[in-house]
Amino acid sequence: MFAYLVKRLISGALVLTLVSMAIFLLFWYGPSSPAQTICDRETSNRCGNRIEIYERTLGFDNPVHEEYLKWAKGVFVGRDIQIASTTYECDAPCLGVSYLTKQPVSEELVERLPATVSVAIGGAFLYLLFGIPIGVAAARRRGSVADKALVSSFLFLSSIPYYLFALLTWLYLTVLWEAPFVSDTGYFPITENPAKWFGGMFLAWVALGIFGCTQYTRYSRGSMVEALSEDYIRTARAKGLPERTVVYKHGLRAALVPVVTIFGIDFGTLLAGTIFTERIFDINGIGFWSLQAVQAKDLPVVAATALFSAVLLIISNLIVDVIYSVLDPRVRLS
Amino acid sequence: MSQPTAPETLGSLTDETPVDPNSKASQEIAGKSPLRIAAGRLLKDKIAMACAFVILFFILIAIFAGVISDFFGVNTDTQSPSQFLDVLNGGMPKPEYGPPNGGFTMDHPFGIAPRSADDNLAYWLYGARTSLMIATGATLFATIVGIVVGLLAGFLGGVVDRVLSFFVDTFLTVPFILAALTIAPILNERFNDSDNYPTIQKFSLVAVLALFGWMGMARLIRGEVLSLREREFVQAARVLGMPTSRILFKELMPNLAAPIIISVSLMLPAFVAAEAGLAFLGIGVTDGASWGRTISFATTYFEQYPLYLWEPLIGVVLLVLSLNLLGDAIRDALDPKTRR
Repeated sequence: MFAYLVKRLISGALVLTLVSMAIFLLFWYGPSSPAQTICDRETSNRCGNRIEIYERTLGFDNPVHEEYLKWAKGVFVGRDIQIASTTYECDAPCLGVSYLTKQPVSEELVERLPATVSVAIGGAFLYLLFGIPIGVAAARRRGSVADKALVSSFLFLSSIPYYLFALLTWLYLTVLWEAPFVSDTGYFPITENPAKWFGGMFLAWVALGIFGCTQYTRYSRGSMVEALSEDYIRTARAKGLPERTVVYKHGLRAALVPVVTIFGIDFGTLLAGTIFTERIFDINGIGFWSLQAVQAKDLPVVAATALFSAVLLIISNLIVDVIYSVLDPRVRLS
Repeated sequence: MSQPTAPETLGSLTDETPVDPNSKASQEIAGKSPLRIAAGRLLKDKIAMACAFVILFFILIAIFAGVISDFFGVNTDTQSPSQFLDVLNGGMPKPEYGPPNGGFTMDHPFGIAPRSADDNLAYWLYGARTSLMIATGATLFATIVGIVVGLLAGFLGGVVDRVLSFFVDTFLTVPFILAALTIAPILNERFNDSDNYPTIQKFSLVAVLALFGWMGMARLIRGEVLSLREREFVQAARVLGMPTSRILFKELMPNLAAPIIISVSLMLPAFVAAEAGLAFLGIGVTDGASWGRTISFATTYFEQYPLYLWEPLIGVVLLVLSLNLLGDAIRDALDPKTRR
């Protein structure tokens, strides 16, 4: 177990380093000059020769590997960033300074994190709350008319792009009908007004939950059907256990293992960016922020959000792998 | 996977009525390849056929977008706004040109867009072209990359397999939308002044979609090749001294038709949805016709002018839905376990 853990951790760290290098290089070599956007912004599009000042102060005239090391050091101990004649202090974990607000990116990131976490937790909770019971119920009535109707209607629903489903939900319920309780979507800090926070998030959760649960219904139905046909279920029935115990204690436990692993990855993906959800429901989280940064060409913010999301995804994959190896010993032994 | 079970191995266990080996019926059965059987099954599937017709309809629209818009006398050029728009009403089109749902004129059957006074039908037709062109291009690239990587990883094994699988896993962790989000501002900065910006944007969109869409195909092919390469016919080819490239393309490829078709049927709808989704977010096609872009504009006017939103929305939903359902039917038809 320990050896497996160490192996997974090392490969996770390797992937992280590679991804951070890839993002760094992309923003170094991608634009015509990495300092072009800040120069255009500060000189109101009359950059011209002044680009050299920005390139020099931001360190873009140094070799790329030196600057990458400087950047990596900044992530751990912080550093000062000079833009033209002003120096900005950037504490660890330093991910750069926003060209738009001149604030350290990591501070703004932390400010917006609660909104994204709220969306992700609520949505993921509804995935399971709707998905697993419906899947189990369908598996128990396998082949019945209700099961077939459910499977085909969910197939239909999941064939529609998610953002269109969410957009229509928002347009009709919030904009057109101004339905009570969901008439004002957005993020309101939970510490200030929990009721408003709940109301602002509710529709986003429901849209995410209904759409996402189609997938979870399919998974849990599939693995439940498989589990219910196992020998130990027949044994449990044969020794006279009540049907409830057979289904929920013996069947569901085994059936949940694959569902939980998929859930781990999905939760990581949700945390990494609920871009469509945040854009449609006006939630000022990380996804929405990165979209704004793209429009404003605020490159440090785009790079930082991309890196942050990638890190979250890699970590969640790692956790899922470890949990899976605990649940299923065959994985770590192979 | 798609090898038919020979009749003699089934023996008396089969519940099919025995056929006289010399009769016409048995000769027909003997001559059918697995793909033929699947195609036959698909033709009998009514939902699949309906979806195929819808898809064909959109393909024809995409190909003949120019001809059709000429036929209706519309184009994507900017119109003179004062002729169509009600300036006092916040730039909404005059009632006869669309909002909310009525006001049909033969000159502009789908209505006129608010503010810009663009013709909706022309943008809708060319939107179908953009959508299908980008999705097809991305599918083509992703398929080629997926097949090559899958074949190499599965057949060569060892270090090559490990390295390629590492790339597959790494790419799988990064959602394409993040990549598109990251690359969009860089492209914009670099090529914004270029005359070819719309073209560059479309090509890079195809590249991003393909770059983050090939892994499913590679995984499927790799798994299939892993089991195929141990089969007798591949070993026989090896013993005969057939060069590796010939084994790959002449022996293995024909057996991979089913997984390739299945992956393609999964990719196409995903790419159509992704293209419209990125354009909706403002990081896909930002210049020219795209359904997602129209949806994004129309959201603001939804209360006064729902038709403007519904036109592109129905386009996307119908196309993605039929591609998905047809793909599902194809998967069922190709699966030997559901053989009736």
